[in-house]
Amino acid sequence: MTPGSPRAEPPAAGRAGRLALRALARIGGGVLVLWAVATLTFFALRLIPGDPAQALLGGPGSQASEEALAAVRAEYGLDQPLLAQYLRQLGRLATGDFGSSYALRTEVAPLLLSQLGGTLLLAVLALAAGWVLALLLASWSTRGGRVGERIGSALEVVGAGLPHFWLATVLILVFSVGLGWLPPISTPGPLGLVLPVVTLAVPLAGFLGQVMRESLLDALEAPFALSARARGESEGGVRRRHALRHAALPGVALSGWAFGYLISGAVVVETIFARPGLGRTLLNAVTERDVPVVVGVVLLVALAYILVTVVTDIAARILDPRVPA
Amino acid sequence: MPRTSRLPLLSSALLGALVLAGCTPSGGDGGARGGPGGTGEPVAGGTLVYASGDAEPTCLDPHVGGNYPQALVSGQYLESLVSRDSDGQIIPWLAAEWTEAADGLSWTFILREDVTFTDGTPFDAAAVAANVEHVKDPETGSSTGYLAMGKVTAVEAVDARTVTFRLSEPDSALLESLSQPWVAMQSPAGIARGIDENCEAPIGTGPFVVDEWVKQDSITLLRNEEYASPPADAAHTGPAYLESIVWRFIPESATRYAALQSGEVDVIDNAQPDTLVAAAGEDGLTELNAPRPGSSNRLELNSGKAPFDDERVREAFIRSASVDAGIETLFFGTAERSYSPLSSVEALAHAEPDLFGYDLDAAQELLDDAGWTQRDAEGYRVKDGQRLTLEFPVSTNQSIPAEQSLFEQIQASTKEAGFEVRLSLLDLSSWYAVLAANEYDVVSAPYTKVGPDVLRILYSSSGITPAPSGYFANHAQVSIPRLDELLTLASQTSDPDARADYYEEAQTIVLEGFYILPLYDQQNHYLLRDGVRGLRALPTVSTPTLYDTWLAEG
Repeated sequence: MTPGSPRAEPPAAGRAGRLALRALARIGGGVLVLWAVATLTFFALRLIPGDPAQALLGGPGSQASEEALAAVRAEYGLDQPLLAQYLRQLGRLATGDFGSSYALRTEVAPLLLSQLGGTLLLAVLALAAGWVLALLLASWSTRGGRVGERIGSALEVVGAGLPHFWLATVLILVFSVGLGWLPPISTPGPLGLVLPVVTLAVPLAGFLGQVMRESLLDALEAPFALSARARGESEGGVRRRHALRHAALPGVALSGWAFGYLISGAVVVETIFARPGLGRTLLNAVTERDVPVVVGVVLLVALAYILVTVVTDIAARILDPRVPA
Repeated sequence: MPRTSRLPLLSSALLGALVLAGCTPSGGDGGARGGPGGTGEPVAGGTLVYASGDAEPTCLDPHVGGNYPQALVSGQYLESLVSRDSDGQIIPWLAAEWTEAADGLSWTFILREDVTFTDGTPFDAAAVAANVEHVKDPETGSSTGYLAMGKVTAVEAVDARTVTFRLSEPDSALLESLSQPWVAMQSPAGIARGIDENCEAPIGTGPFVVDEWVKQDSITLLRNEEYASPPADAAHTGPAYLESIVWRFIPESATRYAALQSGEVDVIDNAQPDTLVAAAGEDGLTELNAPRPGSSNRLELNSGKAPFDDERVREAFIRSASVDAGIETLFFGTAERSYSPLSSVEALAHAEPDLFGYDLDAAQELLDDAGWTQRDAEGYRVKDGQRLTLEFPVSTNQSIPAEQSLFEQIQASTKEAGFEVRLSLLDLSSWYAVLAANEYDVVSAPYTKVGPDVLRILYSSSGITPAPSGYFANHAQVSIPRLDELLTLASQTSDPDARADYYEEAQTIVLEGFYILPLYDQQNHYLLRDGVRGLRALPTVSTPTLYDTWLAEG
């Protein structure tokens, strides 16, 4: 197989079959990961100090009576040995039962589903915006010679290093308080999404841009680009038809990681911009030692992460015939 | 001889108001009724957006658990038997009048007539009994309300409008306890739906009704068009002016203020010192300062173990802590120094400013006397090979950033005397755990309660033994027989003057024993847009009531 000669593919059916097998294997591994994640989360939460019963009965300035605590402990099985609680929870999770929240007195599954939409929307939009920003930056900076490269590289490094909370505060100060263009909190319309999406997308674009620019530069100097130019293809054509596809590859591979990055960013962004979502749910649940909700969110995020990784893995193989199926 | 309510005048004024209420046409459906410009005459209609920086409640029924975030929102849809006016006097609300039996072991309340819950259930004596029962039921998981009803053994419906509370011992704080939102009255039919459903939308008699609760986002409240039971000190009668309230949760202080500035929200709570200073320089924003009742914000020194079991060491710590300068620089004049265990809202608060002057030399001398004569390489005092170390767990849920910085300044100034203060920032659950394990020497744990009876919770020796929950309120671990006696006497007397004397002596003992270092009132600042009129904090637990509130045009 010569790089850049897409005709050299093996028979399609065999490759598709191997891709499917690969996906299955990855999903099997994913189940193991989910079990490990559930176990770690459960014990981590129970090892840090704090009694869930106390936390869910007492806020600042209130004190729980003995009877109330006993009732709560019995109601949630908190009086059982830790191992028994763990096994019980694992058994429930295996059957798809996420249990009910200690603090919110609702089933975990519907609660998470109601919060999932907001976070997914935020993550998907931020991923898309991050991609667009990174591609724009990468193609602009590779055109600008050494100076362009330097500037592009500097922008990416700075962007990637921006903490979400800082960026969010600056954006609010400039665009909500200063200019009055955009609301600082979620609104019924799409306007309220702009600042949170930008907050998440800018650092992400910094990361994506770095790898994309490198591979775009490599691709532009690769033999296939040379031969395309020799065939009389314009520079824009070389970029669009040949080089960008190569530049996108590491970006696609990174998108799985990016998704995890965005979800962790959502914890900060949802809190600052007062948006409903899984990130804020997770933060509140950890504070309240609401184990079922924390385990639920973490599992859901891990599941999404695994799915995205499998999809990007397969996508990378479809995009790049060099990678064996 | 039964003692009648001390407020006959107010009671008759209330009856007059009720008659008037019957004649007043109910508020229009969004149409402006006010005069031009909307400055003087209240205007009915409109939606007010309230942004809370407090945690989102996990249950909207304040009987369950019972914390301040619940009190903030539930005051819009639930009402109590009595309220408190700005002079600290108990005034009628859902109860029109009351009498205490001569032996103090029972109280009889005459309920207001013609009040119905928003589900149509009549508000009557049986409903009051059902509510107290609900609060006392361990299944409810009530903590604050449960404590408030601690001495109530039974509630009997004498007739539809007469209800008698039976007590295990006299309780001079009963009316104050009943004024709190954590024992507000709910429809028995609503309670009967079970905790899960009732938590989503409790049914009360209040000026607003819970319409929808979108978790992590907002609660929508709609006007109760049949409303007819304002407290005796309300500014108007009949339904509320506002058509609806959107109650949002914006945890981040800067975002909350930005949302107020950009007009997305009309009112914010938990305005921080820096925000207040910024807002003071801005047109179109008004501040409402409503310190919480009960205790002041104060450092409690754990006298139950070394080194603070020695009064000289406690005094040395207090003398070497530079507080005033810190409050000035960190709170920018938004908080006033306190010298009392009680909030300045409490009429019986007793202050002793002379005890708390900064005096490093005196502190050094006291520590020398107490045997902490050596210093180690880092400048900390040492005795018998032990460093003079103080564990200071700080709850990040309760201490705002400015307060955390103040603690750091206290840490720095007491270091000069040779104290090593170890601050640890903890989330609420970890903080509770550290207190329960008695692994602290200094702690700040303000307590919100209506009336001076909070002293009994905070300084009675019975509050030292942690409940199995690990929770206890006497963090200073004060154990003085005379103090216990005073607090009991105060809670049992029906003579207001004697009560005041007992509480003054009790506060003197706590202050002069150097068990606490008072800082300031529990800060509670609201900011509102200028168009928001008629908003006030209820003088019970200083939560805002939006009943009299209206939106001026422009």
